[in-house]
Amino acid sequence: MRIFFLLISFIIINSNIYSQNDCSLSVNGKVLDNETKEPLSSVLIQIDESQKFAITDEEGNFVLDNLCSYNFKSIITRVGYYDSIFQINKKNVTIYLSQETFELNSVLIVDDKEENVGIKTISQRSVNVKDLSIDPTQSLASLISDIDGVTFSSVGSNVELPVIHGLYGNRILVLNNYIKHGFQNWGKDHAPEINVSSAEAITILKGSSGVRFGPEGLGGAIIIQPNFIKLNNPFYLDLSSGFQTNGKGYNFNFKTGTGYKKFGYFLSADYIKIGDRHAPSYSLTNSGKEEKALNLGFHYHLNNFDIKLYYSYLDQKLALLRSSFFHSGDAISRALSSDVPLFIRPFSYTINEPYQLANHHFAKASIDWWYKENQKISLTFGGQLNGRKEFDVRRNAQAPILDLDLNTFDYLLEWNHSFSDDFDGLVGIHFFNQDNDNNPGTGTTPFIPNYNINRLSFFILESKRIGKSLFEAGIRLDTEKNNVRGRETNQNIFSDEFTKTNVTLSIGYQNEISESFSFSSNFGSAWRTPNMAELYSYGGHGFKTTFGLFRYYFEGSDVNTDRVIKMGKNLVSSEKAFKFMNELNLNNVKNNLKLSFFSNYILNYVFERPIGIYGTVRGPMPYFIYDQADVIFLGSDFSFKRKVSEKITSNFIINYLWSKNLKKKDNLIDQPPIRLSNNLIWNTNSFWKINSSEISLLPSYTFKQFQAPITISPQSLIDRSVNITKDSKIFDMKDAPDGYFLLDLSWKFNVDDFSFSFMIKNLLNKKYRNYLNHMRYFADELGRNFVFNLSYSFKKK
Amino acid sequence: MKLQTKQFYLYTLLFSMIFLYSCDEDDAVPAEENEVEVITDIKLIFTNKADANDKVEAKAKDPDGEGTKELEVSDAISLKAATSYTLTFEIMNNLETPGEDIGEEVKEEGAEHQIFFSFTDDAFSDPAGNGNIDNASDKINYKDTDAVGNPIGLITEWTTGSNAVSNGEFVVRLQHQPDIKTAGTGATDGDTDFNLKFVLNIQ
Repeated sequence: MRIFFLLISFIIINSNIYSQNDCSLSVNGKVLDNETKEPLSSVLIQIDESQKFAITDEEGNFVLDNLCSYNFKSIITRVGYYDSIFQINKKNVTIYLSQETFELNSVLIVDDKEENVGIKTISQRSVNVKDLSIDPTQSLASLISDIDGVTFSSVGSNVELPVIHGLYGNRILVLNNYIKHGFQNWGKDHAPEINVSSAEAITILKGSSGVRFGPEGLGGAIIIQPNFIKLNNPFYLDLSSGFQTNGKGYNFNFKTGTGYKKFGYFLSADYIKIGDRHAPSYSLTNSGKEEKALNLGFHYHLNNFDIKLYYSYLDQKLALLRSSFFHSGDAISRALSSDVPLFIRPFSYTINEPYQLANHHFAKASIDWWYKENQKISLTFGGQLNGRKEFDVRRNAQAPILDLDLNTFDYLLEWNHSFSDDFDGLVGIHFFNQDNDNNPGTGTTPFIPNYNINRLSFFILESKRIGKSLFEAGIRLDTEKNNVRGRETNQNIFSDEFTKTNVTLSIGYQNEISESFSFSSNFGSAWRTPNMAELYSYGGHGFKTTFGLFRYYFEGSDVNTDRVIKMGKNLVSSEKAFKFMNELNLNNVKNNLKLSFFSNYILNYVFERPIGIYGTVRGPMPYFIYDQADVIFLGSDFSFKRKVSEKITSNFIINYLWSKNLKKKDNLIDQPPIRLSNNLIWNTNSFWKINSSEISLLPSYTFKQFQAPITISPQSLIDRSVNITKDSKIFDMKDAPDGYFLLDLSWKFNVDDFSFSFMIKNLLNKKYRNYLNHMRYFADELGRNFVFNLSYSFKKK
Repeated sequence: MKLQTKQFYLYTLLFSMIFLYSCDEDDAVPAEENEVEVITDIKLIFTNKADANDKVEAKAKDPDGEGTKELEVSDAISLKAATSYTLTFEIMNNLETPGEDIGEEVKEEGAEHQIFFSFTDDAFSDPAGNGNIDNASDKINYKDTDAVGNPIGLITEWTTGSNAVSNGEFVVRLQHQPDIKTAGTGATDGDTDFNLKFVLNIQ
């Protein structure tokens, strides 16, 4: 109840302070053909219920000025094209018009992006998946890794996790179609099971964005926006197929859809198969993958209601490098000191142990009720079934070593409101339910217990524009009940029940100082309860033997692991992050410069630290525990896009990140090194039969990680020449790899309805190892790869 | 408007049905597993070939498996000089009751396993030398074979020399060699399941 009053007073304060109006805003826009992407001239852009209008020039550009706000409807008309209603809510807009076909005089509602209420001041980047789809076999993480401040951490070529400003795993929210992807989100070797080929766009939020989307997003969020299922969209059919030389991989993709006056649908299917890949000088035995995906959606529009249904299915079989799985100190020591992997076989498509089998069903239903203009109530349901089996090199290798079913349900009620043209907000209630179960038959004690999580959340975000300034504020309260049941190695049952309350906050400010210069600043906090692996893991997972926060206790200086601790004593606190991010944006006809600075201070950050060496039947092994300490991340991203000439664009990017464990005055492990890249894009004229063509050259240099922890070789642990105690620093088993220069080249062009793309990755066939790839201990990265893709697009005229 | 309202209620109803369905909590505990990954107890049994009642045993015990308790290697191996012995193993996971016989699994998957040995030079008259850990082709008297005729090492024969040995060394090492085991693979191929060092005395 107190919270309720707090919110009410919050709203009142907000509405009282800001009430002046300044009608000097302007909008620069461009209108393009939805299909050909050609600029459209003589388009009339008219502001709803006013006399203001603009007409596009030869280049498709228009300017609307003397505006009082960035939130109005515009009516867009041109001969030969559908009339459109477009919600303008920012300074620079691009509007796509569809050519008229069979139904005349109907109105097209353009679903530009889902509403971004309350998160506009957070530094963000959006990418159009189609622009990046030169290699449709790549993962979500690698697709977005060219964005400033974003990279990926991986285990081989198949398991890739997005990293934002040094944080990854469940410190990043991965939102598939605005629903948090429900998967085994722990450890470095579990990547989100998402096929990006059906996505329309991907937005990366680099600040804490948990108020809107849920707790845990300490580092940021990734939103995968699905096919919008536009209405009044003529029938289309896209077919594409590709081949790549490294791994002899091939893929097929099929996409179709139609939008009628009140009803639209889409359907897409994908198949990817890749065999053993190769490094410049040897084959990476057991590194192939196979992936099948199906996506479909319906959109039904009835007066004030929009009803959307989505379903997607993904099935993956992902090989992990055979030479990377060892359980004994002797074997790992040999593997690490060898220049080439210990297990090299001729090329094969066969996937043997170790490998992962994952399948993911995703369903979403949403009803939007536009009860008033710009105001809607949305009800959303999300259901996800995630199955994962992992197979290890071991006796009984035919049985999975991990066999988990995770069911996730989301229920979300949201109210998008607008008190005036420049004051709007979002209020929501979110219920989240997750149920994890181990399937029997693994022949080993479950690594992750069975658990249920029920979380009830309430959030409010309000945004107010005053002249050139935009203010945003939001708060979210989550209360989460966990029920855990697991087994100890002697098969005794342990169980626990605990409740955690987390608070997420966000305050933002944006100022459009001039036409071409803007500044935004956002401060956010996000909390995260340590995940089940951090709480309950017990013993070996590969070479590393780690004990979760509830699986050990100190007795003097001895670490005891003979019982499971209960949460009751409140030994474990939630991670609490405070991220402050500032961004300068300079934008004119030729240049687009973005410079951002951030600091992220995290209390109770969970990390693994070495604690000792113990004798086992396999020989001496180092042991680790999960512990908590306060850490800080500081960094800067810089991107500078420049039109060098009419046809050539250059895009320079550099990332810098510094981090420290404040309690132990120690470095953090696996932090992204400095990387700089400069993408050169050359748009050629049409020539011969080629309608349009684009050549891109991407040189990049990644520095050696100079902030890496100390190195201790496994051999010195086995012969006990180095002793590990509980005061030991975090160590790595191999030095951080040297810096490297890479060159990628691609060319894509269109001939009528066909488009071709050709890409050479690692053009110089450079032999290198990537600090953020766990396989760097055992093998080099991929060698040169030629990627070919051919697609055909049919559109009913 | 009437139709809309009706539909709205209809969908709300549908949602709440799904909601109620999924809130049906289960509190299942993971099923009990026969833990086959952990080895806690390894016993070496030397049986005098001339007298089946004359047994010499040595043990290694990791009392809590993956837990942090130290490995206990007990009992030095004290053999009679100039005597022939058969060496067999008991490999167990005793975290569970009854214990899980891992030796049985090693035997079943013999084509992926081999035990290698090393010992004080010339402690035995047969096999002579220092064992096959340093050099896989050195002699060991393997008395069992896998499906393709390669040795496993769960049964071996040993004849002690006539000279006394005190505070010598006897190392046993089980290697797991899936897809790679051949007649020529050695103690550094594949992964190690156990690697234990005992004190060897011969009087």
